[in-house]
Amino acid sequence: MHGLPGAFSANPHARRPGAWGWWLLAPMLAWLLLFVVAPMGILVAYSFGSRGMLGDVEFGFSWDSYARIADPIYLRIFARSIGYAALTTALCVLIGFPAAWFIARRGPGWRERLLLLVMIPFWTSFLIRTYAWIAILRSEGLLNAVLKSSGAVPHVFAEPLELLYTPAAVVIGLVYVYLPFVILPVYASAEKLDGVLIEAAHDLGAGPLRVFREVILPLTWPGVAAGMMLVFVPAIGMFAITDLLGGARVSMIGNVIQNQFTKALNFPFGAALGVVFTLLFVVSFALLQWLGRRKDETAKAR
Amino acid sequence: MKTRSKLLLLGLAALCAVGSAFAQAKKRGELNLFAWSEYIPQAVLDGFTRETGIKVNYETYSSGEEMLAKMMARRARFDLIQPPDYIAEALIKNGQLTPIDREKLKNFGNLLPEFLNMPHDPEQQFTVPYMVGTVGIVVNTEKVKEPVRGYADLFAPKHAGRIVVVDDGRELATAALYTLGKGLNDFSKENLAAIRPVLAEWFKRVKLFDSDSPKTALLNGDVDLGLVWGGEAALLWKENKKFEYVLPAEGAHLFVDLLAIPRRARNVENAHLFIDYILRPEVSKLISDDFPYTNPNGAARKLLSPEQLANPASYPKTDRKLDTFRYLGEDVAEAIDKLVTDLKNAR
Repeated sequence: MHGLPGAFSANPHARRPGAWGWWLLAPMLAWLLLFVVAPMGILVAYSFGSRGMLGDVEFGFSWDSYARIADPIYLRIFARSIGYAALTTALCVLIGFPAAWFIARRGPGWRERLLLLVMIPFWTSFLIRTYAWIAILRSEGLLNAVLKSSGAVPHVFAEPLELLYTPAAVVIGLVYVYLPFVILPVYASAEKLDGVLIEAAHDLGAGPLRVFREVILPLTWPGVAAGMMLVFVPAIGMFAITDLLGGARVSMIGNVIQNQFTKALNFPFGAALGVVFTLLFVVSFALLQWLGRRKDETAKAR
Repeated sequence: MKTRSKLLLLGLAALCAVGSAFAQAKKRGELNLFAWSEYIPQAVLDGFTRETGIKVNYETYSSGEEMLAKMMARRARFDLIQPPDYIAEALIKNGQLTPIDREKLKNFGNLLPEFLNMPHDPEQQFTVPYMVGTVGIVVNTEKVKEPVRGYADLFAPKHAGRIVVVDDGRELATAALYTLGKGLNDFSKENLAAIRPVLAEWFKRVKLFDSDSPKTALLNGDVDLGLVWGGEAALLWKENKKFEYVLPAEGAHLFVDLLAIPRRARNVENAHLFIDYILRPEVSKLISDDFPYTNPNGAARKLLSPEQLANPASYPKTDRKLDTFRYLGEDVAEAIDKLVTDLKNAR
């Protein structure tokens, strides 16, 4: 953030943002107000209401819906959702970091082509790509056909691999969908990293592990942290993949919320889950920010 | 010959359409239809518009509860809805429907009396039956050799991991009630407690919960048995006779999907026109061709082919009197939802 003087910059030549600045900001503020603040307000209002006869919401002030979240049933599902999201994030970073690093270290021509490969899936609807995974993972699907015809390790694959409609299929689907969200930000940080720094570290006697830990990781951390947030947050709330690839047997909190609005007709409870869920995001975001800041400070202190 | 007569009919229909389009051009209006997804053929909607000039705005839902939620929450003005029996009962009890004017439905007499004056609408004042169906067991007889007669056979331990069931808490809970020999609407506290271990056992053996298209997994061979909507089973049988349909020995019920006009509908007249159009035998037949549920329209059944009428999932042969779901109230619905959510996540 150098070069751009802020509102309270010490730079005497910096101009204060006048009325014109606010006008430039207006579309975004209106957008935030309309699509972030207003829906959140409705959600909070719903969550304190109670359920009417025909599934309509009677507004009021009751903590009942929040009390119900404390039921072990829902706490377990929250915990499981966090577990799945954490596993997905870990796998995405494990696969995505080396991939991003590899891409960032190629020449400009290769870099562009490889990045294109990462982005191509976005051209197709996410649902269609998930249906494609059904075709791959089915017991008579592509994966099993390949395994069978290759004859690889025949004693293991005598029976077709039963992957579809299992938790493993859910994790595969989640990792698949969110992997680009790690690769892209990590690539952005890795690309900026000057190779000279790594050479210098080697020259000063650091082994590969030490170079990674003390040079590469701290310098790409902003990308890694952004990628982790981009995966973890939406992964907890995902409900389409658990329905399609998990056979609706594994519910995550997104499924429970969706169910409250479409089948169980308890909007206040669904809204309360949504509010708690949002708070969870905010907390995890703040935590990651704080971790990042602490890393900076310890680095500076050294 | 057959194609030629079909072409001729098509030509005639087109001529009529052009003629009536002119005649009706001034009467143009709208119909806001809120219906199940995959339940009304596009040809029927197009035919109605061609004939009356009324534009049909078609919105869909995939569960009766979803319909209720959208109708109540958005205060949306739908002119015609397609609720299942127990949802219609709740709407009637809360004064949310406009009475049907029987005078405007000259095709009403086509309906079979056995589907009229049912418990959800005893006076037949607010609803008109659209399609009727059962929920039953489908068996892939190529893979499953032992006979499957009821829920006990379906959920037998040896079938673990080979079963698809509809993702509908009330349907599954009802099946469990039947297994214990209880009535289908008897969700007392004791009964809710009693079905818990039954469902817990069953859920362990289910491979897939799917309400939208349970036939797909059966067709693909991912599962060999299913507890599915009768119409889905009928499509499977049409595709391949190896898919046998069984009405569970422990008990089965009927569901009736209805046409009804919400209290706040704006185009009540058009809604009546549409209902009467649906009740025409030749239109009703078109629906049966695409969605082979049990057709409550006696005159339309006469137009169906012997093969269609022989489909055991569309027209199950049974002497049993099949009851329908009743509206249970929010507390019971919530208890069932909680039970099912809990059991799905117990593993």
